[in-house]
Parts: sequence; C-alpha cells; structure tokens
Amino acid sequence: MAEKKKGRLTNVLDYLKHDDPFSKGVAFCPGCGLELLLRFIPRVLGNDIVITGTPSCSAPVLLGQNRQSWHTLSYFGTLMTGAAANATGLVRYYKKAGIDNTVVCFNGDGTANDIGFGNLSGAAERNEPFIYICYDNEGYMNTGIQKSGTTPYGATTTTTPYGTVHRGKNLRRMNLGLKMAMNKIPYTATATLSDLEDLAKKLLKAKKAKERGFCFLHVFAPCPTGWGADPADTIDICRQAVKSNYFPLWEAENGKIRMTKTVKKPKPVSSYTKMMKKFNHMTEKDMKILQEDVEYEYCLLGGLSVLEAECQLPVSAEDGGEKL
Amino acid sequence: MNATATSSNIKVITGNAAAAIAAKLARPEVVAAYPITPQTEVIEQISSFHASGDMDCELITVEGENSAMNAVMAASLAGARVFTASSSWGLVFMYDAVLATAGARAPVVMVNVNRETPGIIAVSSGQQDMISTRDAGWIFLIAENCQEILDLVLQAYRLAEDYDIQLPVMVHYDGFFLSYLSEGVDIPEQETVDQFLSVLESQPRRTVLRPGEKLGVGTHGILGGYMELRHKHVTAMERSKAKFDAIDQEFADIFGRSYGGQLEEYRTEDADMVLLGSGSMCGTIKSVIDEQRDKGNRIGLVKIRMYRPFPHQALVKALKGKKAIGVVDRSLAFGFDGGPIYTELKAFETRLGGAKLVSFIDGIANTDITKTNVEKMIRMTQDLADGKDVPEVTWVSYPEANKDRGGK
Repeated sequence: MAEKKKGRLTNVLDYLKHDDPFSKGVAFCPGCGLELLLRFIPRVLGNDIVITGTPSCSAPVLLGQNRQSWHTLSYFGTLMTGAAANATGLVRYYKKAGIDNTVVCFNGDGTANDIGFGNLSGAAERNEPFIYICYDNEGYMNTGIQKSGTTPYGATTTTTPYGTVHRGKNLRRMNLGLKMAMNKIPYTATATLSDLEDLAKKLLKAKKAKERGFCFLHVFAPCPTGWGADPADTIDICRQAVKSNYFPLWEAENGKIRMTKTVKKPKPVSSYTKMMKKFNHMTEKDMKILQEDVEYEYCLLGGLSVLEAECQLPVSAEDGGEKL
Repeated sequence: MNATATSSNIKVITGNAAAAIAAKLARPEVVAAYPITPQTEVIEQISSFHASGDMDCELITVEGENSAMNAVMAASLAGARVFTASSSWGLVFMYDAVLATAGARAPVVMVNVNRETPGIIAVSSGQQDMISTRDAGWIFLIAENCQEILDLVLQAYRLAEDYDIQLPVMVHYDGFFLSYLSEGVDIPEQETVDQFLSVLESQPRRTVLRPGEKLGVGTHGILGGYMELRHKHVTAMERSKAKFDAIDQEFADIFGRSYGGQLEEYRTEDADMVLLGSGSMCGTIKSVIDEQRDKGNRIGLVKIRMYRPFPHQALVKALKGKKAIGVVDRSLAFGFDGGPIYTELKAFETRLGGAKLVSFIDGIANTDITKTNVEKMIRMTQDLADGKDVPEVTWVSYPEANKDRGGK
C-alpha cells in the first residue's frame, strides 16, 4: 500500500484519472454495488476500454434499449453462456490486427461462477489477454433474486425461500476467487467497494498483467434490493464483509497469494449478516455453519498464501514480459 | 458442374480436407476449433496448417462448441474474417450463439458436417442437425461432393461478408458420406482465391467494434428497434438469393466451375418428372437419371444448394409445369408426415402449374441412398405422374413405416 498523503484518509482520487463515461440517472436501484463498480472501472482504466457484458442488471444500462445507452464506452452485449469466449474473440482479433486494447469482460456471479464458468475456465487455460471482472452480488438479481453458486449458506432467495421444511439455501457457497487463483494466470484478486484504493490498484495491476495473459477480479458488490438491506448501507456492508473475513481481500500475482488487507481480530460473521434481511431467519445452528464455512475458506486462503510463497509460478520469456 | 476447370491441381482428398483447405485459402484471421465426429479432421488439418505456418491466423482451441461460436462471433464483429466447423451436438451446443451471431449480423462462415441428433450413439449421417437449426437466420448452403465443399466455402465468404448481405453462412455437407470420402478435388491457386475475394476489400467497411469507438453491439432492441433490425435481416436474406446466383457466375468466370447458384438443375429442361434433393445423394440420383434417360425416361434432378433462405422463387421456376415431383429428405419434420423440404415445397404447390408432389424419406441414420432406392423413387414418381394412387410419404429404406399408408 502506498503512503497516504498527509491529511487524507485515502488516495483513491489520485487513481480517477479519466472521465465518468456514464450519464446521471441511470436505471440502477439506489445503493447498487454494481453501479459504483461500473462507474469506477473506466475512471481508473480509461474510456477506451471495450466492455463485454451479458443479460443482467448491467445490460440495460450498458447497451440501453433501442439505440440509447447511458454511456460512451465500446460495448459488446452478449450471452451469459459465452462471455469469456466473446472477449477471447475480440482480443485475438485485436492482437492479429495490431490494435491496442483493454477488453474488460464484466459479468455477475451467475455468468462467472455458474452458466458461463466453462468458457471462463477455458479462457484462463488459454491465458487470454483480457481482464475478467465478476461483480458478485450472490445471486441472479436481475431476474428477481434467485440462488446462484455464490449465494451463501442460509440466505433466502426466491428459489431458496423460507419454508416450513427448508429455510434458505442449504448448500455452501463456492469460492470463485480461489477457484480462479488455481489457474496459472498472471493475476487474480478480490476487491470490494469499501476499499476503493485497493480496488484501483488491482485494476491497474490487472491492466499491466493482462499483457501477459488472463486476469481475474472477483469484486464483492452488494445488492440492497435483493438482499433486503438499506441502500445507504452498501459500503458498510462491504466493510463488514471484509472485517469478518466473509470476503477477504487478497491478490495472487504469478500465482503467489498474499493478503492486501489483514484483519487482525475478525468480527463474527453475524456482524455482517445482521445488516440485511436475507439471513434474518437463521438459527444459531445455521449461523454456526456459515461461520465455519467462512473460517474454512479463510484457513484455506491462509494456507495457500504460505504454501505459494514457496511455490511461485515461474514466469518465462514466453509469457510475454517482465514480472510485475 | 457445367464448365470444365481451366487450371488443374487435382488432389485426392476427403471432404473434410477440402473444407480445411478452402478455409486456409480464404485467409481467415481468427479460427475457433473444437472436435466432434465427423468434423474433427477439418480442425486437425487447420491446426496442422497453423503449426507449420501455412495458415497465419489466431487459432483458438476452445473448451467447447459454444465458445467456438461465441469467439468467432465476437472476432467477426471486431472486423475479423473467421472460420469454425462443427456437427450435430456441437451445432446444438453452440445454438444460442448461433442465434446471436445471426442477430448481430456477424458474417461468420462455418461448415457443419451433417450428423444425426437423436442420441449419442447415433453417430451417423443425416441432415437432422441442419433442420433443427434452419430458422436461426443464417444462410444455409449444401454441398454435393468434395469439390463443391471447397468451392462453396469460398463462395460463402463472398456472400457472408458482402456489404449488402452481412449474414453468417453455414456450409453443410453429409457426414461420413462426404466427410471421409476421398475424391479428386481441383485445388485453386492462392492468387486466384485472393482475386475472387478481393471484391470484398473494395466495398465500404462494415461497422466494427474497436477500442475507443463509441459503439455498442449485440441485439438488445425491443418493440420498434427490434422490428427494424429483424426486417432488415429478412430483407438481407432475400437479397442473398440473387447475390448468390451472381457470385456463382463470377466463380465460374474465375475458376471455370459453375453450379447454378441457389439450385443446380440436372437434365430438367424436357423432364416430365423431377426429383428434388440435396447433398451427396444427388450424385447417385444423377447417375440413375443418366441410365433412365438412355431408356427414354424423361427425368431430371433439382438440387438445393441454398436451403436458407428457402429458394422458393427459383424452385417454382424450375419445377413449374412438371407432371410430378419426388422430394427426397434426409431428415424428419416432426408433426408433419412428409420430410422438411417436402412440407416447405408444399406451401408453393399452387404455383407449380398442377405438378403433383410426393415425399421420400431416406438416408437417415447413415442408410445409403442406393441406386435401387433412387430407381424406386423414380418409379413411384412416374406412377404419380401417370395418375396412379401413390402414398404421399414413403420411407424408402424402412417398409414398416409404409404400412397403412395406402397406394399400391
């Protein structure tokens, strides 16, 4: 982390070197994590990025309806099944034609972790030179809050409702960030909206690292509408997710995992879950399962960060450049 | 083939090799490759060309057909010339992207090696994969032999990327019967192909997605915007008919081979009866026609080369006034008794000047459409022309299906 300038809480404004290409009054819900992220990315990476995105809450804003869109970025609206393959097609042609590019494949967790995981995995294997950003709001929010693979244990959605027999999701969430870190790609990171300087740095690292191949950012982006939270609490929810290790912030450069924010005394996960209605019904036993799940994931992450300090991914000349 | 080749570089190669060589000659910039029987040889050959430096393209070895189509669609929308190949389940697995490619008007060219799709063990020839995807909004072309596969892929690029068309084109050929068949193919010189395709470079640049250009692509219109895009799509499809005829003519001028555009007519001028077919069956039908003609039987063949858009104007022109038409389908139309092409032709029956129609289903699941089978079809079509009672639909190689259908 860079030294903070005197009298400042954060240096994040130094990273916002470009205009916000989005207009005011776009059709997102109040407090939408996706919107904050979407506006942030081009301000850091530049307005000449090409975004590919899928049917989701982002689609109406990114592509608009009937020729009207709410931004001035190049955008490719595509299918959830093949988003990473679309980005592959773009970067391969730009490479062949000698066109400088930063392609950002911008998708929710439904596309990244579920229906589009096959082609995400394929793009990682082929080390395609683009940045894949998953905004994780833990479900299919645009279709009206259904369960996805990253929906946490216990959470209610419209396909895991509270009933007399079943109460919320009875499966543990998948850890998309760690799954992607297991690929031999130059850069993987997690980020969230309470730590924007950290996010900005990771975006810039990804932009540089994508010269050597595939980069993946897993960004925790709350959905107040779908989670039953106060829109004013979005940032605080992110903060509590980090402080409870529910969503730890880390990065993996050339396969080497390190924490970018260490939480010395993690809070219980209930400090996070109490901020929204989707966990309201959970019993002590349910909360214990969720707490143990969070601790298991963190333990795994810690173990990998120790292990991979010894086993760094070798970077060869053929990987296309210097180490970060 | 009406004209004789002006040059001669004849090599004995398979249909799959002909497709791969055609792709190489067209110089695509991005190729996506994923294997499936009976297409695999196409991408193996392309990978080999790529490995030896004979093919200077970005080769994307994707993890599935869905990604193959998504990758080439996006590359095409960015401005690339692209190629991919698939078959049966692969075509079905990429089908969402097949639809989106058409909706985005991306001029993708691919080959589909026709194979059945009822279950995984049905690794056999049949056009059911083509029929299952016929209304995707793609232009569908069908090749009869290995030479035509090569020629049709080259023609497909001219059609797909034409500024007035801008539609994806799928070249179909029968799996097994053509994919693995080795026969003499005249392989044109690279310079000749470059000359044939150079027309495209003189056309205006189509809209492409480039960094920094304020452009969104992908079909997301509703209401009026949607209808405008769809109507433009439909009219471009309609324009592609005459365009394809013209491209075939120009192909003849350069390569010395011409097939007739949307349809190839074989000995139809004075024919009383006509068989209507497509794909590899047409070679057998032609040889039977030659034999029957020697006996004074006035029979001809109309071969469908362009299946989507449906060439109904050309079909009416070619078939009007014939006494009887036997339509041979290598696939099924569920819910209709007759085959798919038969049921489609029926829509234009009143414009055929009283010609009677009969449906033959044959060659599905790798059954061979033999000369004996063709003779039987001709005999039944003759009976129909003579006013005899003939069942509307006959499964030529499966008599069980013909019980209780009437006729003799």
